[in-house]
Amino acid sequence: MIPLQRIGVLALNTYREAVRDKLLYNLLLFAALMIASSILLAQLQIGKDERIYRDVGLGAIAFFGVLIAIFVGINLVYREISTKTVYTMLSKPVRRWEFLVGKYAGLLSLLAVEVALMSACFIGVLVWKGSGFDVGLLWAIVLIYLELALVTAIAIFFSSFTTPYLAGMFTVALWIVGHLLADLRAFGQHSDVPGLRALLETLYWTLPNLDRMDFKADASAGNPIAAARAGMAALYAVLYSAGLMMGAMLLFQRRDFR
Amino acid sequence: MSAIRTAGLVKTFRTGFWMRPVEAVKDVSLDVKAGEIFGFIGPNGAGKTTTIKMLTGLVVPSAGEAWLRDVPVHDPNSRARLGFLPEGTFFHDYLSAREFLDFHGALLGIPKDVRRERIPKLLERVGLAQAADRQIRRYSKGMRQRAGLAQALIGEPEIVILDEPMSGLDPLGRKDVRDVILSLRDEGKTVFFSSHILEDAEVICDQVAIILSGRLVRQGYLDELLGQEMVGSELVVEAIPEALFYELQGSAARAIVQGGRFLFEFGAEGDAEKALDKVRACGGRIRSFVPRRKSLEDLLLEGLHQEKAR
Repeated sequence: MIPLQRIGVLALNTYREAVRDKLLYNLLLFAALMIASSILLAQLQIGKDERIYRDVGLGAIAFFGVLIAIFVGINLVYREISTKTVYTMLSKPVRRWEFLVGKYAGLLSLLAVEVALMSACFIGVLVWKGSGFDVGLLWAIVLIYLELALVTAIAIFFSSFTTPYLAGMFTVALWIVGHLLADLRAFGQHSDVPGLRALLETLYWTLPNLDRMDFKADASAGNPIAAARAGMAALYAVLYSAGLMMGAMLLFQRRDFR
Repeated sequence: MSAIRTAGLVKTFRTGFWMRPVEAVKDVSLDVKAGEIFGFIGPNGAGKTTTIKMLTGLVVPSAGEAWLRDVPVHDPNSRARLGFLPEGTFFHDYLSAREFLDFHGALLGIPKDVRRERIPKLLERVGLAQAADRQIRRYSKGMRQRAGLAQALIGEPEIVILDEPMSGLDPLGRKDVRDVILSLRDEGKTVFFSSHILEDAEVICDQVAIILSGRLVRQGYLDELLGQEMVGSELVVEAIPEALFYELQGSAARAIVQGGRFLFEFGAEGDAEKALDKVRACGGRIRSFVPRRKSLEDLLLEGLHQEKAR
């Protein structure tokens, strides 16, 4: 049996397990309600209806997507270890890296379905209200998905060696910092504290810069999005995720299941 | 040919804030021949599960080596013909037994049509055919254990490792598991199981190893280890005078009054023979007289004494 088949089996099982999680449906319901609420919010702002539909819609997809990526993602990997279901899988001729990649692939499939559902809801609002859907919005959604893929890789990285609580805290912290890196760097450049500038500069270049994938503002305003810039952001997300998964595999390889 | 072999296996865990080293398994060397039932015996915390986890790739040995069918355990291919039931039966319990077996069969690369044919037979064999489509979370402990056993057998393994397979089961469940283990040997498979229930091991094992505090204290075939010599006897009598009871109590290792019956346990020194004569002479009734050979319990106790003396 080739590794790809085993990864497929593991991914399918992960997907099945995730879609049985009630938390997922609650989050999706809240996301749909939030996207729909843009219709009410638009009535409070005269003349900016379209902007509000887009802002709220993209914001909801990104926010609830991250919640699902973090909480469902961390739980899925750690639960296999804490409930010891991993024992029966890894005692088969399954490589540990195949297990992690299978989990990741299952989660990516779940996120793809979840982003597609929220996007369908979002497009439904736009169509209903006679507002258009353009390439800029498509880029923004694709990059939201890639940001979620990166956040999931962060969650898997941490849950490969620590508890779900710590993994959750670290992932949320990195998600917040990942969106503030440009501001932190600017702060460092204006700071007189010795070493702070170098430290923040190092963080800027090493931590995942999630703002690179944030095209929501431009897409909302209807500004054109250069394919090269979006493509570079996509490549950054893919390479960073791959790096994190490699790190997770190395840590997971020597882990003892006590 | 050896089905399972270990040489100087050691596992040291680091625990606590100061990462203090704790040696859970110390220099364990085992040799399990193909087609045998091998009992890995020891009290809780002796190092049985850690050793099994090293054999199944879940724990990385700190030193020493282990092989399954001559393939080193660090190679995942060593587990190609392995069936494993972990202690505690932890499963994806949102699945039904049929889905659970299908998932594990698929992980082993068993084609779908073969799985479809094999799973009902396996469920029948472990007595779960009626509950095949019920979620495992709705199973009793005994049923979960059976589902776990079926999972271990889905790949038609050559080696079956069972960690405490009888733990927590009622007598009927224990008998069912024992019967499955014996039938596996009849099919030519090697069964390695750990247990702290000595009676089970004594009934079905060809070979046993006793582990205490992480160290192997005995290993060998049951006949060789237990031998044929008597280590004592148990005598139950009725209708004996009070004076005789006190006299026999003096020479017995243990004396118990059970209603109108008197139970005496004697050592191997021949006191039992004299006691029998005295009971007969005073007209007492002998209800039973059972000579006792060495048991696994005796071996385990000997081992414990040796460990304490270290």
